[in-house]
Amino acid sequence: MDIIASYGTILIALAIIFGLYMTWGIGANDLANAMGTSVGAGAVTVKQAICIAIVFEFLGAVLAGGHVTATIRKGIIDPSNIVNNPEILVYGMIASLLAAAFWLMIASVKGWPVSTTHSIIGALIGFALVGIGPDAVKWAKVMKVVASWLISPAIGGTIAFLLVISTRKLILDTENPLKNAKRYAPVYIFLVGFIISLVTLFKGLKHLKIEFTTVESFGVAFLFGLFTASVGWFFVRNIEEDVNANREFHYTSVERVFAPMMLFTACAMAFAHGSNDVANGIGPLAAVVSIVTSGGEVMQKSELPIWILILGGSGIVLGLVTLGYRVMLTVGKKITELTPSRGVCAELAAATTVVLASRTGLPVSTTHILVGSVLGVGIARGIGALDLRVVGNIVLSWIITLPAGAIMAMLFFFTLKGIFG
Amino acid sequence: MPLKSTSPLSKLLRKSPFKPIQEHMRIVFDCICTLPPLFEALYDQDNQKVLNSARQIGEMESEADGIKKSFRLNMPTTLLLPVDRRDLLSLMTDQDRLADLCEEIGKIMSYRVMVVPEPLKPLIDELLEGTIEISGEAKKMIEELDELVQVGFGGGREIEKVSEIIQGVRKSEHNIDAILNRTYKALFDIETELNPVEVMFWYKIIELVGDISNKAENIGDRISLFLSR
Repeated sequence: MDIIASYGTILIALAIIFGLYMTWGIGANDLANAMGTSVGAGAVTVKQAICIAIVFEFLGAVLAGGHVTATIRKGIIDPSNIVNNPEILVYGMIASLLAAAFWLMIASVKGWPVSTTHSIIGALIGFALVGIGPDAVKWAKVMKVVASWLISPAIGGTIAFLLVISTRKLILDTENPLKNAKRYAPVYIFLVGFIISLVTLFKGLKHLKIEFTTVESFGVAFLFGLFTASVGWFFVRNIEEDVNANREFHYTSVERVFAPMMLFTACAMAFAHGSNDVANGIGPLAAVVSIVTSGGEVMQKSELPIWILILGGSGIVLGLVTLGYRVMLTVGKKITELTPSRGVCAELAAATTVVLASRTGLPVSTTHILVGSVLGVGIARGIGALDLRVVGNIVLSWIITLPAGAIMAMLFFFTLKGIFG
Repeated sequence: MPLKSTSPLSKLLRKSPFKPIQEHMRIVFDCICTLPPLFEALYDQDNQKVLNSARQIGEMESEADGIKKSFRLNMPTTLLLPVDRRDLLSLMTDQDRLADLCEEIGKIMSYRVMVVPEPLKPLIDELLEGTIEISGEAKKMIEELDELVQVGFGGGREIEKVSEIIQGVRKSEHNIDAILNRTYKALFDIETELNPVEVMFWYKIIELVGDISNKAENIGDRISLFLSR
């Protein structure tokens, strides 16, 4: 108890610094990767992507980032054995944060496909194992999270597959693809607005003191969907058949209708990313703040203060603006094979899956879900060539990231314990 | 600090294999289109022109060969493709064979001074016209591959359109077979008047030109395999 009382401020300051470092790293790389798809399809410029990311990443973090934060903060570790030594949990959270951020930085410099979510979960488990004991890991919950890492890309892929099939039935394989594209584009854009807002609103805004009933949630989401659909209609209403451009590729004009749709799916991606990935940085920070301000209450009964979500959102945006834009540019240059009609399906599927996971409090990897979604498009025979070796690399990065995060968290934990006693 | 993208997406999304196939086919078609000027030069007994055309064909053939080689190197077995990988590789081989046939014809004419027997001229012209027509149709099919990917090699309209072209190719091939028969017949009628070695080479050349249509028809068969999966 004494340690918390005497070093409380320093510990919070450390947690804030490392939390910012982590969210900065997430913004510089992870978010940049997520937005790169839209840039690559040529539908969104880098500048637009950055503006979209700033606004929607922040909204996602503040409006829907609380559930996953709660999981990271108190869902993985059971601190009931250290009720009398709350400083252990504080060290552990700071150590996990630093470990994950550090691992992420190594991966970013080396260009390894590492997931931030996996890093922080690995780090938390690592700390809990040595700092408290194997019983302190809520294995049932961890298994659920690990299962979600397997299932979420499959869900993303399935949704993307169905979306691709629907675009074919409704638009591409019809007598007048352009006319049908303009007719159905607002419907898809409606879906973007409706699904994302429904998942967010449905019993999800308690931290903002806003509570909607089921009917109200549906009503507001419906109105929001209508709003996005009409904005979308405004964008596509004047697209005309371009006979010259169509000579080379018959669907050129149709793709031009899908391009503005990607603006909306890009917003959804940024929102989804904010709702899930901000937690990786601020979950441990929230734990430290809660323990210290309550004077050593490890069970963390206090609500998540909104300023922490805002801080996390700002950190990510900062990362994107300082370094992420360059990453986005490189990713965008490499991902040119995903045309807007495919990109819309993949992004809408990925964003929906991530937001659903966020709402359920499951920390998932946005990038892996996006990979799953693109594979779904490929299985629908919609992409020239996909290299399945990447799937093996992702599995490999899992196997390496979990222990790497764990071992680093252990080292940092003992270091902190040595310094503060 | 130089940050690299950790995104697996850039490695996941490979360059479309249909682009090099189309690029290759365009060159192959140019190759075939150089045959009429080659024969024209032969009719005119303009040796320099013959050599020029033959050299042009040779250059295009090696360009096509380069595309074929890098295409094959970029087709690992780990790829998820909308069509069977082996069918795609065979399609490229068929296309490449078209360029090879043109090159062989060009080579014969560059090392051997050939004189076209007068009765053969109209038939050869007819044969070349048919060959260019059928190759053009094959090229049209290949150009349709982008659109087929867009609809996932399924759905009604695009398939109908391509099937129609395939039907056209089969019909043209049948047509050319008839011309070939007439040409062989005409050659047989005059073969006693010609030098036997000359006759041998004319049979060879007519066979090579006829083979172009066969291979073009093969391309149609490959495409219909894509559609039937």
